[in-house]
Amino acid sequence: MAGSTTSYGPRPWTFYALATLFTLFVIFLYGPMIAVLILAFQGPSGSLDFPLRHPSLMWFAEVFHPHRVGDVVGAFERSFPLALIVAALTVLISVSAGFAFRRRFVGSTLIFYTAVASLIVPGLVLSIGILVTFRYLGLPAAWYSSALGAHLSWTLPFGLLIMFAVLGRLSPSYEEAAYDLGASKWQAVRWVVIPIVFPGMIAVALFGFTLSYDEFPRSWLTVGSKNTLPLEIWTMTTNVTSPELYALGAMTTFVSFLAIGIALSSIAIIQRTRSGRK
Amino acid sequence: MNRPSASPSPGSGEIRLVNLTKTFGVTTAVDKIDLTIPHGSYCCLLGPSGCGKTTILRMIAGHETPTAGEIYIGSEMVVGKSPIARGTALMFQSYALFPHLTVLDNVAFSLKARKVGKDERRRQAEEMLRRVHLHALKDRMPAQLSGGQQQRVALARSLITNPRVLLLDEPLSALDEFLRLRMRSELKSLQSELGITFVHVTHTQPEAIALADMVVVMDQGRIDQAGSANVIFNRPKTPYVARFMGGQNVLTGTVVRTADGVLRLKGANGAQFEIPTNQAAPPQGFVVSFTVRRDHINLRKNLDNRAAAPNEVRGVVEATEYQGSYIKVFIDVGGGVFVANVSDRDFSADPVERGDAVVASWSAADTNILTSVDEGGAGEPYSDAAPATTIEGLEKG
Repeated sequence: MAGSTTSYGPRPWTFYALATLFTLFVIFLYGPMIAVLILAFQGPSGSLDFPLRHPSLMWFAEVFHPHRVGDVVGAFERSFPLALIVAALTVLISVSAGFAFRRRFVGSTLIFYTAVASLIVPGLVLSIGILVTFRYLGLPAAWYSSALGAHLSWTLPFGLLIMFAVLGRLSPSYEEAAYDLGASKWQAVRWVVIPIVFPGMIAVALFGFTLSYDEFPRSWLTVGSKNTLPLEIWTMTTNVTSPELYALGAMTTFVSFLAIGIALSSIAIIQRTRSGRK
Repeated sequence: MNRPSASPSPGSGEIRLVNLTKTFGVTTAVDKIDLTIPHGSYCCLLGPSGCGKTTILRMIAGHETPTAGEIYIGSEMVVGKSPIARGTALMFQSYALFPHLTVLDNVAFSLKARKVGKDERRRQAEEMLRRVHLHALKDRMPAQLSGGQQQRVALARSLITNPRVLLLDEPLSALDEFLRLRMRSELKSLQSELGITFVHVTHTQPEAIALADMVVVMDQGRIDQAGSANVIFNRPKTPYVARFMGGQNVLTGTVVRTADGVLRLKGANGAQFEIPTNQAAPPQGFVVSFTVRRDHINLRKNLDNRAAAPNEVRGVVEATEYQGSYIKVFIDVGGGVFVANVSDRDFSADPVERGDAVVASWSAADTNILTSVDEGGAGEPYSDAAPATTIEGLEKG
C-alpha cells in the first residue's frame, strides 16, 4: 500500500481523479452508517439530528420495550431463523447442484440460465406473484413458507455461482485419489471434497444469511401478517420519530457484521491450518 | 470371477491388456492394444503427450472404462472392478495429496476407508512414513512440504494399500532437475525392494531408459515398439521410435543387390550403404530405411575428395554444439542433416568447424534396419535434431 511507484514515473491525473471518486464512494458508503451509529447514542433531550446531547443507551433499551409501534423483538425472532434456514438450504442446494454440474448433462445450460435468471426478475414483481399464487392455492403466506421461497429465489443464484467457481477449480484427482485408496463415493465426498470446499460453503452460507436477513422487496408481500425485521424497520420509519430507529439500525448492522466476521474468520482459520501456520 | 488364464497366479502383478480400446467421442485415444507386462517389472509407457499412455494407465487403475477389450491383472479380468479390488494404486501427476489432512492422515486414509481403528492406522502409517524417511514430518500439512517430500508422501499413501501394481503418472515431471535424478533412483530401488510391478508413464526418454526393464513406445494410441531399454535404444524398429528415443541417424536407400547376407543400398548424392542382414532380403528396387547411432560415427575432414566408399556420407559442417563429454556436429549432407556425436578427446585431436567439408563414416555392423520406410520426420516435435536426418532415397527411379 505504502509502496512508491518506482519505475512508473509520476502518477497520471487519472490516479487523482479515481482516488477522489473512491474517497467519495467510501464516504457515501460508511458516512451515513457511522452517523446512524453515533446518533443511536443520543440522550433523552436529543433529536434525530446532530449534535449528540448527553449520550446514553436509552434508545437501545427502548427497542426492547414494545410499548410503542412495532414488535422489533418479534420481527427479529422471525428474521434471524429465516436467514439461518435460507443460509442452510442455499448451501445444501448449491453444493448438490455444483456436484451435478461438474459433469455435463443434457439441458444443463438451460437449467443453469433458468436458475440464474431469477437475479434479474424484479423482487417486488416476484413478491406479488408469489402472494397471488399462494392466494390462488388457498395457502396462507408466512415467513417460513412463501417468504422462505422468495428469499431462496434470491440467494440460490449467488450460491450456485460461488459453488460452480469453487467446484470448477477442484481437481477431479482428489476424488479419484480417494477412490483409489478404497473410499466409497460417499466417503470421498464426506472426507475429501466437502472439507476441501468448506471455505466456499461458508461463503455461500454468508451470502444466504445476509441477503435474506436484510431482504425487503421479496419479503414485502410474502411474509404474511407478521413482519420480518427490514419490513418492521420500514414501518417504523413512517411512525417512529425518535433515535430509537438509529439504535435499531445499529443493532441490525451489528448482527450483519457479526455474521460476516464469523464467516471470514472461520475461512481464515481453515486456510491457516491448511498452510500449517498455527 | 477368476477366468481361466495362462500361468499367472491370482496374486501376481502381471498385467495383460487384450485388444484394449478407448475412444472419446470421435477420437481414438487407445487403439486395440495388446501388451503383457511381466510381474515385478518396471515398465515405462513412453510417448509424446496425447499418445494415449495416460489413458492406458488410468484404465489399468480403474479410473477410466475401456470402450472395448480386456485388462487382466494376475489371472483376474479387472474391468469393472474398483481400484482397491484390482490391487492397483495410482500416484497422480499432481500427487493429489489431501490439503486438509496432515501427512500422517493422508497416509492413513486408505486404512480409514477400510475401517481400521484409529490407533492401529496411525501405527501403520507411521511405520510407512519411516520407510520413506518422512516420519519427522508426520504432523505437517501437504502445503508445507517440498515437491520431493510431497511425492514421497504420495508414494507412502499408495504403498500402504499393499498394491501388487503401482501406477505412476508422470511422477517426476513436477520436480526440478536435481530432485528428478534423485527420485528416479529412489523409485528404481523402491521397485526392486518391493518386487511389485511398476507402470510409469513419461514423455522423457532418458527417464524411461534409466528406469525401465521394459519400455513401451507409443504413438497415436498404438504401441510402436515394446522391449528392453537396450533394444529400444539400439534396435528401434520404426523411424518414429528411432527419432523419439533420439541419438540415431535415420537413413534411406534403394536396394541395389543382396549377397552373402549383406544388403547394398544406394542413397542420395551417390552414397552407398552396406548393411549386414540375416533376414530375408528385400528385392532389388525396394526402399529401405536404417539407423546408425550418432556416437558410432567416425568423422574426418574431407581432404582428398576421393570417390565415396561404402557406409559414408559427405557434407559440410553446419554447426557444432558442445555437450560436455562429447560434441554434437551437425552436417549438411545436401537435403538433410546428419549428426555425429564426437567424443571431446577425438574432437580436440581433429577439430572441425562450421563450413568444413567432412566425411562421416561408420562400420557396417553398427547399422540397424527399420521395418518401415522413413517418411521424413519434419515437424516431429520430440526428435532432438531439428530437421530430418535423411538422405533422400531414390524412390522415383
